[in-house]
Amino acid sequence: MRLDTSGLESHAPLFGESSGFLDGVSAPPSFEVPTTNDYEMDLSMAMGYLDFDGFQKEAIQMVKPAKGTTTLAFIFKDGVMVAADSRASMGGYISSQSVKKIIEINPYMLGTMAGGAADCQFWHRNLGIKCRLHELANKRRISVTGASKLLANILYSYRGMGLSVGTMIAGWDETGPGLYYVDSEGGRLKGMRFSVGSGSPYAYGVLDDGYRYDMSVEEAAELARRAIYHATFRDGASGGVASVYHVGANGWKKLSGDDVGELHYLYYPVVAGAVEQEMVEVAAH
Amino acid sequence: MSQVAADVPKGGFSFDLCRRNDMLAKNGVQQPSYRKTGTTIVGLIFKDGVILGADTRATEGPIVCDKNCEKIHYMAPNIYCCGAGTAADTEAVTDMVSSQLQLHRYHTGRESRVVTALTLLKKHLFNYQGHVSAALVLGGVDVTGPHLHTIYPHGSTDTLPFATMGSGSLAAMAMFESKYKEGMTRDEGIKLVTEAICSGIFNDLGSGSNVDVCVITKGHKEYLRNHLVPTPRTYVSAEGYKFTKKTEVLFTKITPLTKKAEVIEGGDAMEE
Amino acid sequence: MSIFEYNGSALVAMVGKNCFAIASDRRLGVQLQTVATDFKRISQVHDRLFIGLSGLATDAQTLYQRLMFRHKLYQLREERDMKPETFASLVSAILYEKRFGPYFTQPVIAGLGDEDKPFICTMDSIGAKELAKDFVVAGTASESLYGACEAMFKPDMEPEELFETVSQALLSSVDRDCLSGWGGHIFVVTPTEVQEKILKGRMD
Repeated sequence: MRLDTSGLESHAPLFGESSGFLDGVSAPPSFEVPTTNDYEMDLSMAMGYLDFDGFQKEAIQMVKPAKGTTTLAFIFKDGVMVAADSRASMGGYISSQSVKKIIEINPYMLGTMAGGAADCQFWHRNLGIKCRLHELANKRRISVTGASKLLANILYSYRGMGLSVGTMIAGWDETGPGLYYVDSEGGRLKGMRFSVGSGSPYAYGVLDDGYRYDMSVEEAAELARRAIYHATFRDGASGGVASVYHVGANGWKKLSGDDVGELHYLYYPVVAGAVEQEMVEVAAH
Repeated sequence: MSQVAADVPKGGFSFDLCRRNDMLAKNGVQQPSYRKTGTTIVGLIFKDGVILGADTRATEGPIVCDKNCEKIHYMAPNIYCCGAGTAADTEAVTDMVSSQLQLHRYHTGRESRVVTALTLLKKHLFNYQGHVSAALVLGGVDVTGPHLHTIYPHGSTDTLPFATMGSGSLAAMAMFESKYKEGMTRDEGIKLVTEAICSGIFNDLGSGSNVDVCVITKGHKEYLRNHLVPTPRTYVSAEGYKFTKKTEVLFTKITPLTKKAEVIEGGDAMEE
Repeated sequence: MSIFEYNGSALVAMVGKNCFAIASDRRLGVQLQTVATDFKRISQVHDRLFIGLSGLATDAQTLYQRLMFRHKLYQLREERDMKPETFASLVSAILYEKRFGPYFTQPVIAGLGDEDKPFICTMDSIGAKELAKDFVVAGTASESLYGACEAMFKPDMEPEELFETVSQALLSSVDRDCLSGWGGHIFVVTPTEVQEKILKGRMD
C-alpha cells in the first residue's frame, strides 16, 4: 500500500506549474509585476522591480483601502466568537460603511480581514480552495492549525513584497475550537483571544475586562459586540455595522449585525432635553 | 499697557510660527495648500484707454472654492489691477498699494499715476524675492495717457499694448495675438477681452465661471462685473431637496436678542 | 498627513432669509483617536456674530483668544460691536500677518450686519477672504460638505428650513469622514433670537 501524501501538496496551480511537496513555501512567487525604468534606483530595487518616479508604489498604495479596522475573536467554552466592524476608508474618506470583514472560508471556518482588502479577500478565497481540496483528498476536514499554517506559508513566501494582511483564522475541527492570528510579515500565533486593526487597543480593553472562559453564547456575543462598539466609538477608521459570528461544533452562524450608530444610543440612551429659554435681557456689552 | 500694545502689531509680517512650522514639516507633516486664483487675466490698450478682464474662479487644489470671486482689484479711481497667484497675496498687495496711493493723493492733491502704482508693487514683490506670489496685470489712465503693465512675482515688469497672465495666459494670448490691432474701438476692445477670457475659461482647468471686465478711459471708468456668464448652472431642482428623516435634536437653547442702543451721529463733540 | 487633518473638523455656514446658520461637528481627535466628543469649534463674538475655526485646535484656540482680545479693545474704544465685515477684515489681517508661518486654521465667519443682512465668509489659513452669498464650508469634511450644500441649498430659506438643511448637510457629510462627526452643534441666528442646538449624530 502506498502512503497518500497528496494532502501535503498544494493542489491549486494558480500561478503556473505546481512543483509538489513544498509548494507555497519554497516555490518562487510568480506574482507578475510590470517592470519600468528607474534612474534613481531606490527602494524599489530591493522590492525586486524597477519603478519610475515611485509611481507604482504610489499607485499600489492608492488601490489599497481598508487600512483602519477593528476585528476580534476569542475562544470560550462553547466555541469561538468572531466580530468585526464594517468600515473601509481611504485616508480620511470613508469609502464604504458596509464591508464584509468576516470571510466565510467554509462552513466550519472563518477568516477576518484587516489590512489590504484585496489581499485578504484573495488569499482567503485561495485558502478556501486549498482547504476544500484537502478535504476531498483526505476524506476529512482540515484542522484550523493546518489551514492557518497553509496561509502563513503563502504569506511568508511573499514577505516584503507589499502584501498587507492581518487576519485571524477561527474554526472548529476534530480537536475542538481553534484560533490563530496570521499576518503578512509571516507571523502565526495560536491564542485564546485576539484583536486586529487600528481599533484593536480599544477592543482589547473591553475584551480583557469582560472575558471569562465559561461564558454563555449570549454573554460572549454581547461582549464581542460591545468591544467592537467601543472600538468604533474611539477609532476614527472603524465604524458601520458590528457583526458577530459564532463558530460551534456544527459550524459557524451569524448571530447579529447591528448598526453602531443605533447601538450607541442603545447603550447610552439620551433624552432630548427640554428647550431652554433664556428670558434674561441680554446685557449690552 | 506696553504688553497690550505689543499684541496689536503695527504692521509687517510676523515670523514667530516659522520655527514650529518648519519643525512640523521636517517631521513629515504635509504643508497646506493655499487658495489660488488659477486664473486667466488680461488687459489691452484701445483707442481711448485701457480694458482689463478676468475670469472668476478661485481654486484650492482640485476644488473650486469660489465660483464668482473678484480678481480685478481697485488701486485708484483711474487705476485697476488684475491679480493671479495666491489669493491672499494678490489681495493683500493690491490693498496695501492702493492705500499708499490714497495717502499719496492726499499728500499731493493730484491724480495717481500708473507708474507710481507699478513702482510700489514691484518694490514690494522684489523685496520678498518671489515669496509673495502675486502675478499682476496693472492698467490705468493718467495725465500721461493709458498704460498697461504686467508684474511678475519676483518683481520684474513689462510694458505692453496687450498682456495676459495666469494659468490661462496661453489660451488668452492666442486670441490677442491673432486678433489684436492698434486703435480698436471700445466695443471691439471689450469683445476681444471677453473672447480672450472665454478661451481661458473653456480651455484652462484653473479658470472658469464668468467674465469680469473693467474699462478705464480718461476721467471715467466702468466696472462690468459678470459682463458675460458663459456657463450658467442649468440643473437646479425646482422643488429643492426633500429630507426623508428629520434631524434629531438633543438640546436646544434659545436666547432672545434685543436691539442695541443706536449711536446718534453728530452728538457731543469729543472732549479735548 | 496634512496638519489640517491632525484634529479633524467640519464647519459650515449658510444664509437664509434675514437669517443665517453656522454649524460644526463635535469631535476632537488626535489623528484617528477620538479624544473628546463635546468640543466647541464655534464661538460667539457678540450677540449676532459667530466664528468657527477649523483645522489645528491649538492654533484655533490661540487665534480665537487674540481675536477676542482685539474685539474687546474695539468695543472699549468705539463703544459698539464690530460689523461682520470689519471682523472678517481683522481676521484676514491677523492671518496674513503670519503669511510665511501661518496658523493652521481655516475660519468661517457668520453674522448679521446692518439692517439684519446676513453675512458669511471663509478664508484659507493665510487670510484670503471668500465672501459667498449662499454657503461656506471648511474642515476635513469640506469636500463632502461642498457636495451636500451644493445639492441642498436654496435661496431665501426661513429659519426652520435653514436649520434642517444645514443640519442634514453637516450630518450626511461627516458620515463620509473618519476625522469629524460624533454629533453636531448648530446656531441659527435671526434678528430676534439665537437658537443653539446640539444634534444627534452617529457616534462612529
